[in-house]
Amino acid sequence: MPTTAPMRIAHQEEILTLDLPYCEQLAISRTIFGSGGPRVAIVAGIHGDEVEGLYACHRLARWLTELCRTRPEALRGTVELYPGLNPLGLDTLQRWVPIYDADLNRAFPGDDAGLLPQRIAAAAMAHLDGAAMVIDVHASNIYLREIPQVRINQDFAERLVPLARKMNLDVIWVHGAVTVLETTLAHSLNARGTPCLVVEMGVGMRLTPSFTEQLIVGILGLWQELGVLDPSVVIPPPDHHPLLADDTNVHYLNAETSGLFVPAVEHWRAVFEGQVLGNIVSAHDGETLSQIRSPADGILFTLREYPLVYEGSLMARIVATDTVPNGAA
Amino acid sequence: MAVSALLRMTAPMRRDFEIPYHDLGDPDQPPRVALVAGLHGDEINGVFVLSRLANFLGGVDLGERAAQTLLGRVIIIPAVNVLGLNIRSRTWPFDKTDINRMFPGYDAGETSQRIAHAVLQVTRDARYRIDLHSSNLDIEESPQVRLYDPSPGERSTAFLFGLPAVVERPSSSLFTATIGHAWQGLGGENFVIQAGQAGNLHLAYCERLFRALVDFLRRTGTLEGVELSEEDEDSYYFGPQQSLQLISDYAGIFVSNLHPGRWVQAGDVIGYVYHGFDGEIHGEIRTPVAGLLTALRRQPLLCQGDLVGRVHTRR
Repeated sequence: MPTTAPMRIAHQEEILTLDLPYCEQLAISRTIFGSGGPRVAIVAGIHGDEVEGLYACHRLARWLTELCRTRPEALRGTVELYPGLNPLGLDTLQRWVPIYDADLNRAFPGDDAGLLPQRIAAAAMAHLDGAAMVIDVHASNIYLREIPQVRINQDFAERLVPLARKMNLDVIWVHGAVTVLETTLAHSLNARGTPCLVVEMGVGMRLTPSFTEQLIVGILGLWQELGVLDPSVVIPPPDHHPLLADDTNVHYLNAETSGLFVPAVEHWRAVFEGQVLGNIVSAHDGETLSQIRSPADGILFTLREYPLVYEGSLMARIVATDTVPNGAA
Repeated sequence: MAVSALLRMTAPMRRDFEIPYHDLGDPDQPPRVALVAGLHGDEINGVFVLSRLANFLGGVDLGERAAQTLLGRVIIIPAVNVLGLNIRSRTWPFDKTDINRMFPGYDAGETSQRIAHAVLQVTRDARYRIDLHSSNLDIEESPQVRLYDPSPGERSTAFLFGLPAVVERPSSSLFTATIGHAWQGLGGENFVIQAGQAGNLHLAYCERLFRALVDFLRRTGTLEGVELSEEDEDSYYFGPQQSLQLISDYAGIFVSNLHPGRWVQAGDVIGYVYHGFDGEIHGEIRTPVAGLLTALRRQPLLCQGDLVGRVHTRR
């Protein structure tokens, strides 16, 4: 009796392979759902210690697989998932690209005849160029925990802020142009006219599944608006509304002395001016070396996760506001 | 002669630490020359050369060397990344930031921004500023002066070191947070010197650099009464279009018996790439042009697309 091969819902392909010194290859792969129509992409794992985006790719792949199984016609565009642009770093728990100790997100737009990090960057640029929307998911680093937010360079704010508002995240941070950030994926794509939003959420080396679910609602809503998903597809309504942060209302709290930072508040809380946010204490004796107070009424949107601090280490960021958004206690 | 600290800092668990520097000559004058090394904790040549230079100039400053006089104030920071040097880390070890990507720094910012800010404060008033490097763990560089989008004055002053190569490169967005770029914004004349390979001490290069720095101090009127024992070797200027990178299309184990700093002919074999598993020769790397081999790979493990060397051509 003849058997029918199961319908292939998604396919994977390698956008770059490079020989390693001994019997292995580096391969950068992507997973593609659908064909034709508006093309959108999710990028994750540029930093090998950030895994929140990998889980977002998994959840989206699962959702898309189910959609294509039940209503294949509802996917009216093409979705590309790039879950790990830095597979060597991810597989060896290194933030940078191993061997080169290079920050992949400082290697864009890359060079297809350059060193390995530059070739990864060039391959990613070549494949992402021209997409209707690219979302680059980051998870802060191992030191700081972030509430779900979009970061936008002010050079591209006019075009990107309206799109970011639909992402169901809690903060849109429009930051000043810094030259070194010109070598990021997002800046390179936006400079070429391909819209790219940077999502930061959670903390390095950890998953925060509730953040992922929140993000996915926003991504699906945006894709629907871009015509990637049929209007009839039912997507949960967004339930988060972003605060707008910029250089005028973001306060940085850097450590005045070195020691052990012990927070006195939980992340993503409304705080008031003068409130104690934490203490820097000595592990050598019972002394409190420094007390950290909030400089303003606002929302604690960044909180230090790794307790040891040097003078200057960032402990918290507050966006000043007199309203308490949904999600913050 | 004085030893000062450009920064004192507490540490979470270790003793408080400081980044010391030598302040030589008349403290009432603005610095004439500022020398910095060890922004990267794994680059040892510059640290050794600057510590030896401080020792020599300290003797001059104290009047211990007859007929030699320090005419201008000289600031010497042998190592900026003190903790990195001590634990053999290229970057600032706590958060792995590259201090030479944190300039101009910020005195209320992250630790490495504070360090960068302090370095800039101590060196900002100098007429001449020099940053010494020794490549990375993979590549050995022959002694050379590097210029990034230089002024005509810098192009000409670069020859006062008497080093065999003066290499001009275009600046790029990758370099806008370096000390060299921050210095350019302050005026004066600014130089990067490269020699050797990170993680190693190359005595011959160190001796060459020491001589080059003394020569520079003498020729800029900062130091008088020094007699140099040897004549200069020829110095060559290479513009941005005269640099060729040798990239390997093969992965494997790279073997070469050459040394950087020698002249090569078009077609010369620079090295061989062996297959790591079966020992076969995968391919050979030849230079398509004649010129000065200013950089050569020392790390044998080679990925496809890696840099093997750099040749600077006369045309």
